[in-house]
Amino acid sequence: MAERMTLNVPLNRVEGDLELRVELESGVVADAWSSGTMYRGFERLLVGRGALDGLVITPRICGICTTSHLTAAALALDMVAGVQPPPDAVRIRNVALMAEHIQSDVRHGVLMFMPDFTNPAYRAQPLYEEAVRRYRPLKGEAAIEVIKETKRVLEIVAILGGQWPHSSYMVPGGIVSVPGTSDLLQCRQLLQRYRGWYERRILGCTVERWLEVHTASDLAAWLDEREAHRSSELGFYLRFARAIGLHKLGRGHGHFLSYGSLELPEGTQVRGRKGGDTLVPAGFARGTQVDGFEQEQIAEHVAHSWYVDYAGGKHPFEGETRPYATGQESKKYSWAKAPRYDGLPAETGPLAEMVIAGHPLFTDLVARDGPNVFVRELARLARPTELIPAMEAWLAETTGDGKFYVSPGEVVEGTGFGLTQAGRGALGHWVKIENQKIAHYQIITPTAWNASPRDSDGVRGPWEEALIGTQVKDVANPVELGHVVRSFDACLVCTVHAASRGRSLGEATF
Amino acid sequence: MKRIICVGNRYVPEDAVGPRVYDALVQRVLPDDVQVIDGGLAGLDLLRFIEGAERVVFVDRVAGFGGPEEVLILDAAEVATVGGVRYDHAAGLAYLLGVLPEVCEGALPEVLLVGVEGPPDDALVEQAATLSVQLVSGQWSGVRGH
Repeated sequence: MAERMTLNVPLNRVEGDLELRVELESGVVADAWSSGTMYRGFERLLVGRGALDGLVITPRICGICTTSHLTAAALALDMVAGVQPPPDAVRIRNVALMAEHIQSDVRHGVLMFMPDFTNPAYRAQPLYEEAVRRYRPLKGEAAIEVIKETKRVLEIVAILGGQWPHSSYMVPGGIVSVPGTSDLLQCRQLLQRYRGWYERRILGCTVERWLEVHTASDLAAWLDEREAHRSSELGFYLRFARAIGLHKLGRGHGHFLSYGSLELPEGTQVRGRKGGDTLVPAGFARGTQVDGFEQEQIAEHVAHSWYVDYAGGKHPFEGETRPYATGQESKKYSWAKAPRYDGLPAETGPLAEMVIAGHPLFTDLVARDGPNVFVRELARLARPTELIPAMEAWLAETTGDGKFYVSPGEVVEGTGFGLTQAGRGALGHWVKIENQKIAHYQIITPTAWNASPRDSDGVRGPWEEALIGTQVKDVANPVELGHVVRSFDACLVCTVHAASRGRSLGEATF
Repeated sequence: MKRIICVGNRYVPEDAVGPRVYDALVQRVLPDDVQVIDGGLAGLDLLRFIEGAERVVFVDRVAGFGGPEEVLILDAAEVATVGGVRYDHAAGLAYLLGVLPEVCEGALPEVLLVGVEGPPDDALVEQAATLSVQLVSGQWSGVRGH
């Protein structure tokens, strides 16, 4: 390979690279190991810094989830300071975070997931040529349109935060910017434009019509109802994904986790699907059986991770990040830790949010076929329908030049955690402040949950488990593995190494 | 408007040259029509800063284009050839410049990259900062490559 390929510097900019090794038996994945190949070390970098420094540093962990990290950092400091931001500050924080989500969800579908439909493996599919026309990298008409249309929606973050990129306007007690009436109007116009385009191009119908789709049979009827439904990106996804059997791929453990997100501000007209105090409810589900969520049940294991060993798992407040890369190489295989909820691995992301919220369509689809690649990506494509109406309501409810901040005083001592839902799922920051300095900081990202290695009991992570049983038709072009990997939308670049009974079959990068 | 966009991660030392050049540039008095942007990890979202600009100079770390501790000038097409054609979470400058002709609204501005080879020292950072200002202002008349 030409050395010049290394120019693409950003490989380690997001969160580091990921390697997935799979073992095939008669062309079927028999085992899988997910390995984070880069030590991040942000937790150690933060220790000893000023109490508020997480607000500036953690948004730079990731170029895509900057607002999610800022939200988690600010929520943790709200708790440390014992301060409740004013209702309009909550609204603005929420809307900015949601703007990031509705951009990311569409980009993932059209720019990352659907380009796999143009893989030569599907050349014989009747819809193949149309897939190429839509999703061909750098040229596909849907791909080009998505880049053009999704670029504007992040202006909402710039307007509300007063700065972009690297906004750090969320602080304990609220936000430091003071959006005026014209700012809010501008945001509403940007959102209105995005909604119109999303309805026309991605859904093929209004958000309200989509929200009437409650069951698998409703979904089939919706697809046949109008040509606009069939030709939208979501309609095309339904047709192509069913044709290639994505509903039979990537089952996994069937455990779902959501920390809950988007606090409902005092006085709002917005309601979550399950009531409660957040738009996106928290919970843990086994299949479609949903239980409550208690953050005390989170623990990180390091038995198979390159960190100094401890028995079982540790809660993030007690957690350690002590790299240890020598010895036990055959057992330890990842720089990622293994987060567990009540001792169990759990997948997180839009599908988990839908199941835990009791969304009727996704509950029905999971009850029928279990979790799978098809329903995971469908949940992501449809998530903006859950968010856009609430964004509109919160922008309309906010008073321009109003009250967006209450002083928390000096942040001197205390502990706090900030739990939210990033684009890819559950994101948490746990912080201890002593003498106005950070004494302890632990971050668990959504990808740490989904791409986790084995835990102390040797139980595979969600993504490792989801690969088991996948039939690879052509080991030189293992597109099926790509579908499974991408359906989790891991915030990493993944290289998959396939081996069959000790024989290396090369590698493919997803 | 002419723009210098510095990209990279200031918390990853080998990738921090862009942010370091940004820090150096904001200490300088620049022409009124030159904007300096800390582009960080924004990748594709930097498109909005290219559109409407008369000329854009990116500053970033490169590898494999020159010898150690060299500061180079690359044009957009040259950078685009080494990027993947697939968008992913690591899609950076090369992807952005590859797709730019298809997605740029309005006139496509002249786009150049000041690339810095190897972990930079202070002198290289200053050299890259000076070169980026000369390029964006149209005042540079040296020999391409160095």
